Amino acid sequence: MQNNNEIILKAINKSYQKGDNTVVVHDNFNLTIKSGEFVALMGPSGLGKSTLLHLMGGLDQPTQGEVWIGGQRIDNLTQKQLTQWRAQSIGFVFQSHHLLPVLSAQGNVELPLALTPLNRKQRKEHASMALQLVSMSERADHYPKELSGGQEQRVAIARAIVSDPQILLCDEPTGNLDRKTADEILALLAKLNSELGKTIVMVTHDNKAAEYATRVINLESYILSQNKAQAEAQNNKMNKAEVSLGSNL
Amino acid sequence: MSQSLGLIEQLYINIKQAQALTVINFKSFPQRIAASLVSIISIGCVAAVILSVLAMTEGMMKTLHQSGLDNTILVMRAGAVSELQSVMFPVEMNILANNEKVIRDEQGQAQVSAEMFVNAEVNFNDASGEQVSKSLALRGISATTTLFRPNFKLVSGKLFNTGVRELLIGQAIARRMPELIVDRIITLGGAQWKISGIFSDENSVFESELWADIGMVQSDYQRGNTIQSIRLALNDSNDLAALEKEWQDDPRLNIRIITEKQFFADQAESLTRLIRWLGFPVALVMALGAMVAALNTMYAAIASRSKEIATHKAIGFTPFAISVSIVCEAVLIALVGGALGILPLYLVFDGWTAATQNASSLSQIMFNFDINAILIAKSMALALLIGLLGGLLPAFKAMKLPVTQALRD
Ligand SMILES: Nc1ncnc2c1ncn2[C@@H]1O[C@H](COP(=O)(O)OP(=O)(O)O)[C@@H](O)[C@H]1O
Ligand SMILES: [Mg+2]
Repeated sequence: MQNNNEIILKAINKSYQKGDNTVVVHDNFNLTIKSGEFVALMGPSGLGKSTLLHLMGGLDQPTQGEVWIGGQRIDNLTQKQLTQWRAQSIGFVFQSHHLLPVLSAQGNVELPLALTPLNRKQRKEHASMALQLVSMSERADHYPKELSGGQEQRVAIARAIVSDPQILLCDEPTGNLDRKTADEILALLAKLNSELGKTIVMVTHDNKAAEYATRVINLESYILSQNKAQAEAQNNKMNKAEVSLGSNL
Repeated sequence: MSQSLGLIEQLYINIKQAQALTVINFKSFPQRIAASLVSIISIGCVAAVILSVLAMTEGMMKTLHQSGLDNTILVMRAGAVSELQSVMFPVEMNILANNEKVIRDEQGQAQVSAEMFVNAEVNFNDASGEQVSKSLALRGISATTTLFRPNFKLVSGKLFNTGVRELLIGQAIARRMPELIVDRIITLGGAQWKISGIFSDENSVFESELWADIGMVQSDYQRGNTIQSIRLALNDSNDLAALEKEWQDDPRLNIRIITEKQFFADQAESLTRLIRWLGFPVALVMALGAMVAALNTMYAAIASRSKEIATHKAIGFTPFAISVSIVCEAVLIALVGGALGILPLYLVFDGWTAATQNASSLSQIMFNFDINAILIAKSMALALLIGLLGGLLPAFKAMKLPVTQALRD
């Protein structure tokens, strides 16, 4: 099987109906992320960065347009199909880790494996492996409240990769962390990208993220340039139409 | 590339997920016990009330079904619902006793018992010297009466002497009023009576009665030579209808006959109906209250866990599995509540003797709370049902909870 994890957002429109008003978050938005990229998605708050991640992960559906992941169109899948697809294809890391306080690090990491046909022993092994990848093996038996913020985020990353998805979607994963810890997490993500070939899309406000990512997209300017290009293309078309119209006269 | 799963596999995954989530929810239950306390307590109360009603009716049924014989017919004045309302004359008894269907002894004496039945105002001093007044059933009995109570046994003291104010008290009364012991003097309607003995009758309703010489009861209660009920033992109890017809057609008689067994069964019926009519509406209102409490608890639980739930959905748990785990949690709350309601009742009240006003005789009858496995199961089932219903709507809400929203804030 070819390792195709390309993410394509095609002519996306995402809007919300608020009474009589329509709030347009994205209009005719296009983006392609290639397999093996580590993209840092930056930009001011409220611009729709989380929305894009949710669309890529099938947590949210576009109002219009198409979402393709690894050659499969996912925006028209049923909830059931999405749930199942997500479990094996996507790992999520959030700003707040949402680890379950009643489970140990090991237990939290094993949780997504409850969705797989793996048996108890295999689940344990997979979780141990994931914890090892994020250098948290010694803390496997610790509960979230016994861990530091950085350690919790590591466990959350282990949980995201434990079912071996090829794509990681991270929403401000270092937002709550101090500089040093944030660097460690960024380095960890970069390692997962370069050594394991994970395709990573990370929403961040952290300017240092550029040092780790393979591509930085500043959403604000990206949208501006996209709109400009579209307007030009539109203009060209109209001009051509005029020319052809003129020649007919 | 994801392969579409078959139905069985999907079901399997859903069950496995629900199981995993339920284990997590159960594990964190101790931390949430305070938040669930209102639900636990209210469900416990419902279980306790229901169990009380059931145990009471069960005990009462047992007592009343223990009473009465199959081949004995009870004769009262036509139209009388109970012995209390009936008045009969000695001539009527003679006519009845002359019927050839009535069993006779070797001397040719018909096996018949004439009985009085009045409501006695009983006064005595309790242990602290305080005067207490109780309304108890007083039965005036004849020499033949014990033939109709084959389980009659004197447990202490001796039989009363005829022609004096002496009486026997039933064991159920003695148990509830320990001051009433042999040789004790008590006041009945102003006159002094001595307790000559205490009798048992296999927990029948008669154990809630005072028994005295019929002649003394007739004179003390100014009844002349009238009696109230007649018991007859029949050779052939199968032909009751023919006998009834025969006596119905006799112009000298105006009576109602019924087998003694049936008589008490009817009483049991009407008494238990009364308890149910009183008890079940109370239980129903409480059950609704408990359901709302459970509903509230689970809604609050979901609100405080919306991020957790959204995270679960994001990492691949199905909405169905999530909602099942919520329902399981509500049922767990109900289980704890039910156990807390039932256990103390079982430990303290099983076999406890209670008294109730008998609706038709207006005197007290005593019976035991009878708590058994079936009644416990019924009460617990109701508690669990409340939990289940209380959990359904919140579970549905959790299922529909928009993931993106919860993850964003
Ligand atoms: N349910 C909703 N209804 C209306 N508007 C919404 C809803 N969810 C998000 N939005 C709007 O979408 C925009 C983008 O949100 P988001 O993707 O979270 O931005 P970012 O992650 O870049 O801060 C915001 O302006 C927000 O107000
Ligand atoms: Mg955001």
